Amino acid sequence: MLEIKELVTEFASVRALSGVSFTAATGKITTVIGANGAGKSTLLRTISGLERAAHGSIIWEGLDITKLSVEAIVRTGIAQVPEGHAVISQLSVAENIELGALFRKRKARADVAKSIAEVYELFPILFERKSQMAGALSGGERQMLAISRALVSRPKLLLLDEPSLGLAPLIAEQIINVINDLCRSTGLTVLLVEQNANTALSVADHGVLLALGKVVAQMPASQMIADESLRAAYLGY
Amino acid sequence: MTQFITAFFSGSSHGAIYALVSLGLVLVWRGAGVVNFAQMGQAMFTTYIASQMIMHKNSYWIAFVTALLAGAILGSIIDFGLMRPLSARKNSALLASESMRTTIPVIASLGVLGILKALAGIIWAGEERGFPSPVSTNGIKFGTTTLAFTAFDLFVIGIVLITLLLTTIFFTKTGMGLAMRASALNPEVTRLSGVRIKSVRTLSWAISGMASSLAGLLITPSTNLSPNTLDLLLIVGFTAAVIGGLTSLVGAVVGGFAIGYVISFVNVYSSPENVFLAILIFLMLMLFLRPQGIFGAKEVRRV
Amino acid sequence: MQKRYAVFNAKRIWSKSLLVSILFFLALVILGRTFGAYNQSQLASVATLFIGVLSVTLLTGASGQISLGQGAIMAVGGYAAALLVLNLGLSMWLAFIFAILIAALAGLLLGLAAARLTGPYLAGTTLVIALAIPTLANRFESTFGGDVGLSVDVGNPPMWLSKLLGEIGIEQWQLFVAIPFSALALFGVINLSRSRTGRVWRAIRDNEVAASLHGLNVQRNKIIAFVCASGLAGLAGALYGFRGIVGPSVYPIDLSLALLTGAVIGGLRSITGALVGTVFIVFLPDLIGKFTNVFKVSEQISNYLPALVSGVLLLLTIVINPAGLAAAGSHLLKRRHRTK
Repeated sequence: MLEIKELVTEFASVRALSGVSFTAATGKITTVIGANGAGKSTLLRTISGLERAAHGSIIWEGLDITKLSVEAIVRTGIAQVPEGHAVISQLSVAENIELGALFRKRKARADVAKSIAEVYELFPILFERKSQMAGALSGGERQMLAISRALVSRPKLLLLDEPSLGLAPLIAEQIINVINDLCRSTGLTVLLVEQNANTALSVADHGVLLALGKVVAQMPASQMIADESLRAAYLGY
Repeated sequence: MTQFITAFFSGSSHGAIYALVSLGLVLVWRGAGVVNFAQMGQAMFTTYIASQMIMHKNSYWIAFVTALLAGAILGSIIDFGLMRPLSARKNSALLASESMRTTIPVIASLGVLGILKALAGIIWAGEERGFPSPVSTNGIKFGTTTLAFTAFDLFVIGIVLITLLLTTIFFTKTGMGLAMRASALNPEVTRLSGVRIKSVRTLSWAISGMASSLAGLLITPSTNLSPNTLDLLLIVGFTAAVIGGLTSLVGAVVGGFAIGYVISFVNVYSSPENVFLAILIFLMLMLFLRPQGIFGAKEVRRV
Repeated sequence: MQKRYAVFNAKRIWSKSLLVSILFFLALVILGRTFGAYNQSQLASVATLFIGVLSVTLLTGASGQISLGQGAIMAVGGYAAALLVLNLGLSMWLAFIFAILIAALAGLLLGLAAARLTGPYLAGTTLVIALAIPTLANRFESTFGGDVGLSVDVGNPPMWLSKLLGEIGIEQWQLFVAIPFSALALFGVINLSRSRTGRVWRAIRDNEVAASLHGLNVQRNKIIAFVCASGLAGLAGALYGFRGIVGPSVYPIDLSLALLTGAVIGGLRSITGALVGTVFIVFLPDLIGKFTNVFKVSEQISNYLPALVSGVLLLLTIVINPAGLAAAGSHLLKRRHRTK
C-alpha cells in the first residue's frame, strides 16, 4: 500500500504540490487525473525520488521512502515509466530491457532471464525487433518497451506517467488494457497518471483528481466517471 | 617511398597512443560531463611510480601492472574526493551562472594537474629520467634493410589494439558497460532502472585513469620522464577527441590515429617545428566546419 | 528626466573610479618609495600582473569565457613592444600603447575563433593556442630571437625625476613605469564593469539563451570581451617583458595558469579579488621561502611547494567558496555590519 501524506514539492518559489494526500491500495489501479500543470508528473517524480519533497511523507509498505535516493527506491520495488522519453534511443530493444534488470542480476540471475522472457511474451512485437535501435520503433512500441523495462525489475508498484501521450487512441487503449490485465493477474499495484480521464477511469479502481497541486476529489473510479459536475469543472467535458 | 613508410609506421604507433589519451578524455566527458585536463598529469604521476619500481629492481611487467592499478585508483580518488563534492555544491551564486557550471570543473581539473606536477617534483625531483622499454627499440631487420619501425612500435600497436578490443567487449557485452553507456545517454532513465549513477561515474574515472596510465607508460620511452613532458600529449589527445567527436568512443580512437598520421607526416615531409601549427590548424578547421567531430552527436556551438 | 539620471550616474561612476585609481596610484608610489630594492621589484610585478589578472577577471569573471591563453596574449604584447622599440626605434611609452592595440587585434582573432565555443572546448582551444604561440618564436627565429628572446628594458629614469626624487634604482624605475599603466587599467576596468557593456557581459555569462532572446548580440559582445581582455593582457605582457627579456621562457603556460589561479583564489568576479589574487601569486614564493627556511626543508621540496600550495588553495577555493576570498571577505563585512 502506498500512502501519500501532505506532500509538498517546490520548484524555485513555485509550489507544484501543495499538500497532497491519498492512498493507493495494494493490487489496485489508482489513477491520478487532472488538467495540464496540475502537478501529476511532479507527484510521480517525487514518489520515485527524481524530485525531492519539501514537506510531507511517502510511506510504501510501511517504509518511509520520502528521503531515499532514486536507486534505493527502485530496490524497494517501485518502478516508474516516465513521460515522453522513457527509452534510450541509441540502445537496442534488448539492451533497454536488460537495463531495467541490471540491478537484480547479481542476486537473481535465473529470475532475471525469466522476467525478460515474460515481457517478450507480453509484447511479442518487441521480441521481433529485439536487435533494432529503440529509436526506430513506433510510438506505441516505444511505450511497450518502456513498460517492459520497468516490468523486468519485478516491481510491486508501477508508476505510469501518461502512457497514452502521443499515441493513437486504439494503441493507447491496447496498452492500458495490458496494464489492467497485468494488475489483475499478478496483483501489481498501479498508480496511473493520465490526461485521458475517460480511459483511465474505465480501468481504475480509485480516482484522484488533482488541480493546481491539490487533491480536489478522490473516490471510487466508477463514481468519478459518473460525476458530471466534477467532469465539467475540472476536466472540461 | 621510404619516407612514406616511415611516416606511416610512426603515425600508427604514435596514433595508437593518442587514441588511448583521447579515449580517456571521452570516457570521462561522457560519463561525468568533465573534460579532465589533469589526465596526463595522472599519467605522468603513475609512470613515475612505475619508474621508481623499476629502479628498485622490480620487473617491467610488475611495474606496468602497478602503474595501471595506480591509475585506476588515482582516477577514482579524483572523482570521489573532488568532483563529487563539487557537483553536490548548490548554494553558490557563482554556480547559478550557466557558463560557470561548465567552467568550474575545467578549473578544478587544472588545479589537480598543478598539484600532481608539484607532488611529482617534490617526491621524485624534477629531474628528467629515462624510461625503459620491454622490447627492443631498434629498427626491425628485414633481410638487409632496417625499417624505421621498431619492435617497440609493434608492441605499442599490439597493446593498444588489445586494449581497444577489451574495451569494446566491456562496453557491448557486460552489464557494467551497458550501465555506463546508458548513463551517458540518458541519466534519468538509467537512474529509474536502479543503476547507481555515482558509482558508474567513478568507474568512468577509474577506467580513464587506467587508459591514461597506459598511454604514459607507452610514450615515455621516447620522450623521457619529467613533470612537464606529458603536457603536449594532453593537447594532442584533446585535439584527437575533438576531431573524433567528444561524445563518441569510436571517434576518439579514429581521431587519435588521424592526428597521429597528421603529426608524423608533417614531421617527415615538412619540419618538426610546424607540428604545433599543424595541430592548431587542424583543430580550428574541425571546430569551424564540424564542431561535433566526425562521429559526434551533440552541438558544441551556441547559436 | 531619464537621460539626466543616466548622465548623473555616469558622472558618479567616473568620479568614484577616478578616486579609487588615484588612491591606488598613490599607495603604490608611497610603498615603492619605502620598500627596499627586492620588494620594489616584487611590487612592480604586482602592478604588472594585476593588469594580467584583471584581464582574466574581465574575460572569465564578467563574461564567463575561460581562456588558458592569456599568458600567450601577454607574449604578443611583449614581443610587439620589444620589436617596435628595437627595430623601429619607438619610445617605450609609445610602444606600450601599440602593444595594447596589437594584443587587442590578436584578441579579436582569438575571439572570432573561440567565442562560439563553450567551457571545455574553449579551454582546450585556448590551451592549444597558448602552447602554439611560443613555438612561433622558434619558427621565425630571426625576427623573434628564438629561445633566447629579445633583450629590452625600461631604460633610465628621466633627468627631471632623478633631480626631484634623488637616486632612483632600476627596480624603483621599473615600478614607476608600471604604476601609471596599472592605475589606468584599474580605472578602465572599473568603468567597463559598471557600464552597459559590463552588464551585457554578465547577462550573457549567466544565461546566453535568455540574453539573446532579449535582443543582445551574444557573439559580438563575447568578442568585445576578448578584445578588451587581450588589450589588458598585452599591456601586462609588455611591462612584464621590459624587465629584461621578451622570450618564450618568460611567458610559459604556467603564467596563464598562475593568472587564472590568482583570479579564482582572490575572487573571480571582483576587482578587489583580482588585486588580492595578484598579491597572492607574487608573494607566495617569498612566504613559503620563509617557512622552508625556518623548518629547514630541502631544496627539492621548496622548489615545488609554492605550486603545490597554489593548487591546493585553488581546489579549496572552488569547493568551499567558488567566489573566492574577496566574496568571503565582503560576506564577513556584511555580517559584522548587521550585528552592529
